[in-house]
Amino acid sequence: MSTKTTSIIRIGALLGAATLALTACGGDGDSGGDEDGPITIGVSLPLTGDFAEPGKGVQRGYEAWAADVNDAGGLLGRKVELKILDDQSNADRVVADYESLIAQDEVDLVFGPFSTRLVVPAARVADEYGMLFVEPAGAAPEVFEQGFDNLFYAAPAVADDHYNYLAEWIEALPADKRPKTAAYAAMDDPFAMGTAYGLKDKMEAAGVKTVVDEKYPPNTTDFSSIAAKIESSNADMVVGGTQYQDAVNLIVALQQLDYQPKLAAFSTAPTNPEFPEAIGAKTEGILSPTGYTEQAAIPTNKEFVASYTERNGTPPGEDEANAYTTGQVVAAAVEAVGCAEQGDCQKELIDWLRDNEVDTVVGPLSWDEAGRPQGAHMIQQYVDGQIKIVLPEDVKEADIVFPKPAW
Amino acid sequence: MPSVSKPSASKADASRARVSRTLVAKALAFAACATALLTFPGWAANPYILSAGIVVLSYAVLSTSWNFVGGFTGYISLGHAAFFGLGAYGTALLITRLEMPSFVAWALAGVGVALFAVPVGWAALRVRGASFVIVSIALVLIMLLVFQSWSSLTGGSNGLVVPRPFPDMLRPQHHETFFYLFVALLAVTLLAWWLIDRSRFGMGLKAIREDEDKAEALGVPTYAYKLVVYVVSAFFTALGGGMYALWFGDLDPVFQFSILIGSYMVLMALLGGVRQLYGPLLGALIVGTALEYFKLEFGDTQFHLVATGLLLAVVVLFMPDGIIPAGMKLVDRFTPERSSIREMTAAELLERDDDERPYPREKATR
Amino acid sequence: MDGALIFQSLVLGVLLGGLYALLAAGLTLYFGIMRVVMIAHSAFLILAAYLAWYFHRETGIDPLFSLFITVPLFFGVGVLMQRLLVARLRPVTLTMMSVLLTFAIALTIEGLLGFAFSGTQRRIQLDYSGASLELFGARFAVVKLITFGLAVASLAALYVIMKHTRFGQSLRATIQHRDAAQLVGIKTDRVAGYGFGLGLATAAIGGTALSLDATIYPSLHWHWIGPLMAIIVVGGLGSIPGAAIAAMVLGIGQSLLQIPMGTTWAQTIFYVALFATLMLRPQGFFGGRLAQRF
Repeated sequence: MSTKTTSIIRIGALLGAATLALTACGGDGDSGGDEDGPITIGVSLPLTGDFAEPGKGVQRGYEAWAADVNDAGGLLGRKVELKILDDQSNADRVVADYESLIAQDEVDLVFGPFSTRLVVPAARVADEYGMLFVEPAGAAPEVFEQGFDNLFYAAPAVADDHYNYLAEWIEALPADKRPKTAAYAAMDDPFAMGTAYGLKDKMEAAGVKTVVDEKYPPNTTDFSSIAAKIESSNADMVVGGTQYQDAVNLIVALQQLDYQPKLAAFSTAPTNPEFPEAIGAKTEGILSPTGYTEQAAIPTNKEFVASYTERNGTPPGEDEANAYTTGQVVAAAVEAVGCAEQGDCQKELIDWLRDNEVDTVVGPLSWDEAGRPQGAHMIQQYVDGQIKIVLPEDVKEADIVFPKPAW
Repeated sequence: MPSVSKPSASKADASRARVSRTLVAKALAFAACATALLTFPGWAANPYILSAGIVVLSYAVLSTSWNFVGGFTGYISLGHAAFFGLGAYGTALLITRLEMPSFVAWALAGVGVALFAVPVGWAALRVRGASFVIVSIALVLIMLLVFQSWSSLTGGSNGLVVPRPFPDMLRPQHHETFFYLFVALLAVTLLAWWLIDRSRFGMGLKAIREDEDKAEALGVPTYAYKLVVYVVSAFFTALGGGMYALWFGDLDPVFQFSILIGSYMVLMALLGGVRQLYGPLLGALIVGTALEYFKLEFGDTQFHLVATGLLLAVVVLFMPDGIIPAGMKLVDRFTPERSSIREMTAAELLERDDDERPYPREKATR
Repeated sequence: MDGALIFQSLVLGVLLGGLYALLAAGLTLYFGIMRVVMIAHSAFLILAAYLAWYFHRETGIDPLFSLFITVPLFFGVGVLMQRLLVARLRPVTLTMMSVLLTFAIALTIEGLLGFAFSGTQRRIQLDYSGASLELFGARFAVVKLITFGLAVASLAALYVIMKHTRFGQSLRATIQHRDAAQLVGIKTDRVAGYGFGLGLATAAIGGTALSLDATIYPSLHWHWIGPLMAIIVVGGLGSIPGAAIAAMVLGIGQSLLQIPMGTTWAQTIFYVALFATLMLRPQGFFGGRLAQRF
């Protein structure tokens, strides 16, 4: 009997201790409502785990934005301060992170995380706290079907439309030159699948036969069997719905099997500065959609590229630009409405964005009622070792190379 | 505790004389704990703290559920996360596919997982020791594969959104409601454990834990007993998972079928003490609170993994009976008249592999 | 679905099976010697792969040379682990508690790897990463051939050690009957320690081989331990030839099943085999005198 008594007493003592610990860590929340202090902005990003590479890109973009804003005197005359947590590419962490940022640290604003898989749970937290939620990376259709009224995607186009220019270009080819068969491999991720299957639907409508259609979970590392299938089908074109490392692995596996397609397109990875080295510089002819080019002749973009390059030594990529765009969108709303704090202010910010267009480094952005941006993506290609815009015609930096040289 | 032990009759008498005082202390302590627990939403500093409290509570439910198998039979399952995930996905799928009311789906998912546990237990419990653990880990890995791959049903890696049971609630209110729901579930789980602990069935199970072969020789239907308690454990774990799904709202196979969740259950139960009713709860309070705290403070590191690993190693190496018995021993050292606890270690409880050494040890209680 | 694809998959399966066989041999060693199910085996595998990657990144030398460091290092760690940790566990609960202990070690290694190198996926880029040879219409990636060669060579070395050295004899005697081995004057504790070290050395070799052609991240070891444990159960716990055969059969099976079922579903072959083994023949299909009761 005494066993139990003591255990109960011990539990009592422990509950007390736990309580103390909990209240202690509850006590150090920032005083967010302070009108003169800095505007704190909460972000949770995948700095480790599946999405670490793009996650860090987004982090660099956010930090570049904050630095630029502070150099220009801040927002509403107040400095901005980022509070970035690592969600380890993990949905339960992303929720806890935003929960703690909003409820405990009482941040004034939040920015979105990276990757669709994490955007949906994060957006729900923000929604249930009534916070504006502008995000740089949730492009998949699912994001906009959840009924969130606080969400805005800060990039030109949703995932399904990323390859639109490429699809149009292929459809316009003479019938004898057009690819006849296509192989698709996509990560089981809403964004990655969205890009590949967006193109697949258009290709099938144009009569390009699908000979391989593979879907793999995000933690896949062995691509030899998928590559073997693609090689064996000898498809004219290969399309990868990829993030980063999976594209590298798939391409190396295809190279090991000496598969030479006429056209190869992969989402996200090719725009990463580390990509050419990772696949052994055999990048020639690889296509990729992008919502951003550092060459774009938009005034704020020139400033962004200049200041970013000065700080980081390299020009920004797409992830950095999308993050920067997110900052610009929120800043535009804050400046227009004249407030940045939790509470009713957030509703005003949301309403303002709903009705207005914002000039950003990726061009002017406006949104439909679900937060979908109304634009299109450009197509880039590695030409002579450099990644260049090849489509659409009016902004191209180089002619598209087709068929693709051997890798 | 059932009085299996009678190492020293006089000491037992002495402790019986203390029963009335003990009862009062017990009631007071219980009331204090219950009050502290039930008023927690009132004095939680903010909704985030409340949500952390819910996570800790859900760990308590899970590790108590785990302890049906681990505590009574001594079979250590590292794969209870499978039942947790199945409960969560079952609840979500019944709501989204069959449009059932949330809590009906929750209960049905629990029953469904219990049914699923019958064939699994049938296979897993045929073997003892190493193979049982291997099977339990394999179960999580296979569930992860299936739920990732079968995306037409489960949403695959994209995950699954569970509709809110109370769509009109704001987040803080939602947390509060679920806090009490978890408290209720924990109370029921503890009650079930307590009832089994006092029953004949429980005695049979504990006999398995002490020595499965002898228990069988004495006429305990060991296989049936193990299977029943395995299914009960799966049922409560699934209810815990389903409740988590209703509260959290987003399911992701990587998280639902994570080895880590299963290992937390084991660690919490072992740390608190698998033979005590409140052992897993205590372990969950300590480990769960520490985990949430470390994730908040050191979120961008893998520190919590290292801490979990080291703590588990320390518990296994130095106090395999958990802190309640370890603490008791410490107390006993200073209060000599209160030494009526059973002097048995988890090592002996868990022992099964005696065929390698035919006459391995002395059993304290025989 | 053509013959070439099937042949190609068969080749990939054999190459993969070789690595599985080496790793399963290590797991079997621990089990044979100590009745220990070494959950941390694959965590050490990934650790070795990380060390190879780090070695390559820092020095620019071919990662294979890191073997000269990792193999002795892991051998030593294995000996210490057996002597300082596993031997501390009470024999009566050894099997169960060793699972938990090695599980804890696996978590710690995973956490430390994440701590040191972050969770980012890593891959070694070598001049010959994309190179391949063509034989009989199938493509053999050079890195996979190296991996396979290493695995086969190590297995052969293990065989020679076990069969033809004094230490191997003592080790086998310890595995077969520890008390009897002790009676004939074998220092079973020391032998057990060396056996543990030997097992861990296979993880070093396997990990280095793996790093040539795989992307690694800290939590990857869970994807290896599942199949490996299935292999040793199917092979009959404690039987090295059984484990090697099971590894080959399941590796090839996985590779072939990938054609109709896709990568993910094909992995279920390991678990199906595991459950089938337990239902039909709990002592395993090959060898397995020891397995009866575990």
